[in-house]
Amino acid sequence: MARVLVADDASFMRQMIREIVEAEGHEVVGEASDGDEAVEEWKRLHPDVVTMDIVMPRRSGIDAVKGIMEIDATACIVMCSALGQETLVQEALQAGARDFIVKPFKPDSVIATLAKVLEKAE
Amino acid sequence: MDLAKYRTIFLEESTEHVAEISRALLDLEKDPADAEAIDLVFRMAHSIKGMAASLGYDAITVVAHRLEDRMQLVREGGGVAPGGELSLLFRGLSAIEEMVEAVRETGEPGAADAALVAELASGREAEPAPGRADPGQAEKKSPEPGDAAPASGPAAPVLEAPRPPPTVRVNTSTLDRFLSTVGEVILNTNQVRTVSQAETSQNTGLSEGLDRMERVVGELQRRALELRTTPLLRILEPLPRAARDVAQHAGVRVEVALRGAELELDRSILDRLSDPLVHLLRNAVDHGIEPPEARAAQGKPEVGRVVVEARREKDSIRISISDDGSGIDLEAVRRRAVERGVVHPDLAADLTPAQVAALVFEPGISTAEAISEISGRGVGMDAVRSTLESLGGSVEIATEQGRGTTTTLVVPITAAVQRVLLLGVGAETVAIPISRVERIEECLTASIEYSGADAFVLLDEELVPVLDLGARISQPSAEPGPLTHLVLTEVRGERVALSAERVAGQQQIYVKPLPDLLRGARALSGLTILGDGRPIFLLDPNQVA
Repeated sequence: MARVLVADDASFMRQMIREIVEAEGHEVVGEASDGDEAVEEWKRLHPDVVTMDIVMPRRSGIDAVKGIMEIDATACIVMCSALGQETLVQEALQAGARDFIVKPFKPDSVIATLAKVLEKAE
Repeated sequence: MDLAKYRTIFLEESTEHVAEISRALLDLEKDPADAEAIDLVFRMAHSIKGMAASLGYDAITVVAHRLEDRMQLVREGGGVAPGGELSLLFRGLSAIEEMVEAVRETGEPGAADAALVAELASGREAEPAPGRADPGQAEKKSPEPGDAAPASGPAAPVLEAPRPPPTVRVNTSTLDRFLSTVGEVILNTNQVRTVSQAETSQNTGLSEGLDRMERVVGELQRRALELRTTPLLRILEPLPRAARDVAQHAGVRVEVALRGAELELDRSILDRLSDPLVHLLRNAVDHGIEPPEARAAQGKPEVGRVVVEARREKDSIRISISDDGSGIDLEAVRRRAVERGVVHPDLAADLTPAQVAALVFEPGISTAEAISEISGRGVGMDAVRSTLESLGGSVEIATEQGRGTTTTLVVPITAAVQRVLLLGVGAETVAIPISRVERIEECLTASIEYSGADAFVLLDEELVPVLDLGARISQPSAEPGPLTHLVLTEVRGERVALSAERVAGQQQIYVKPLPDLLRGARALSGLTILGDGRPIFLLDPNQVA
């Protein structure tokens, strides 16, 4: 089972993702509430996968993806996007994110997306 | 998914976000290009949208989404456009706030305001200010979307606010149960102390142990009471926005400064101060601040200024609301007080300006003088005063014609632990807050004069009404001795002497709320249990007289 880092500035969203991934048997090893923290936590924890919100204070999710990619280009990151963020998702994917999930989260699609990127990462 | 749990988080977070958006929009009013504020509104709207969508609150989702999009346009345009843009953003915020409240009350957000959604979605109009639409220059003026847009890609949000320490949210009822348990511990400690003192064989171990325990319990009490306190910011924060709304209606311009919002007050007091503060602020803006032209004619800045300042003073907090407006027309107040029969015409002429100003707190003086749509609603100045008095506080006013008015609310810092004066009446002992006692006077029972059912005593060359405490609480008093204790207090601005048989000393008590059964007894404001286990009621002098 995968070790997951959840990055989102809303504790609401963090909790929701945690519940979904834990129900699937994954372990949430850390949480980050902004882009800087996401990069720091990634360095500390080296998780199998990161769920990364795009809009966060201090450092956006996209910049955090770039930051993590500089450290480890094989890092596995899934963007959390919302309605109307198509161009930002594109940019994140170009920066190295593997895939994206769309808010509001549907547990099935979150799990399916994680399974997909983790399989590829193996 | 546990919906109730997520709904609770949603309500907490979105309420905070709404407050942050409000603060940021006010910043944008001062500086329409404030990038940090624009970014914050964008992010908060985005966050609310995400939560609302997850919970199926479509009405909130759509408004938050439009607000977010709108902020994107604002960001690209380099700032909030002059004209109606800011007001539109505020309306979007209010709509979200109302729907969040609706979720809190009913579990559902209700319907979104379709007209507002459409307006938020409509493109930014190029709106040349009326009178300046010079056709020759029009082409240079209308900002084309994309014209000055920055290079594609999101502006990376840069916020350098220090990260606050982690916090834990506690349900208020949990907190209250905890505090009431701490109160019980204090009472029990006092009881154990009383019993141990009654023991004839002095046990040093026991008394030392009790000393230590009392110190620790005292510490526990202080810490516990701190938990109950909340920064004033919570009730001061909405004021600038309220002022803005009133100013728009009244056709005046105003800016509100908040000072001392970091001071903390007991939460139960804080909640009750909110209405009086809003009322006083509305008064200041609606009746105080003059229209810009009138201000300019007097050599004042066109934008009026209201300063809301909180200061700590010993055991109380003083919150003053000062405006630089027209001041109160004291002659009008004097006339009105005479018309209303509040003061005798002969007396009215002799009142000092300060005394006249204080008359605005009398029922019927302030409310009817100008019933404008905004200030005429809700509480009047008399209600402000009675609210403050019921909190053991008071309200003061100072005004100067043409210069402005300052109203000050004085509130005790905590109501849960009070110093009280214990008064004996018959077999009963009652407590009144020491803060309400001017002094205690011992007088010859014979010097109390009667006029019909009313009793008076001459004190400081002033006739002061005497109220028999025993009669007031239906406690038969013994035959009066040659000496009577008079406790001087003030009730609604009047000096009053309460007569008691015994004065049983002062004490620090932990005030427990009244049991439900006694809630109807207005004269009783709380209950405590003394060291010997006797229950003692705390009297509210306002209700006794």
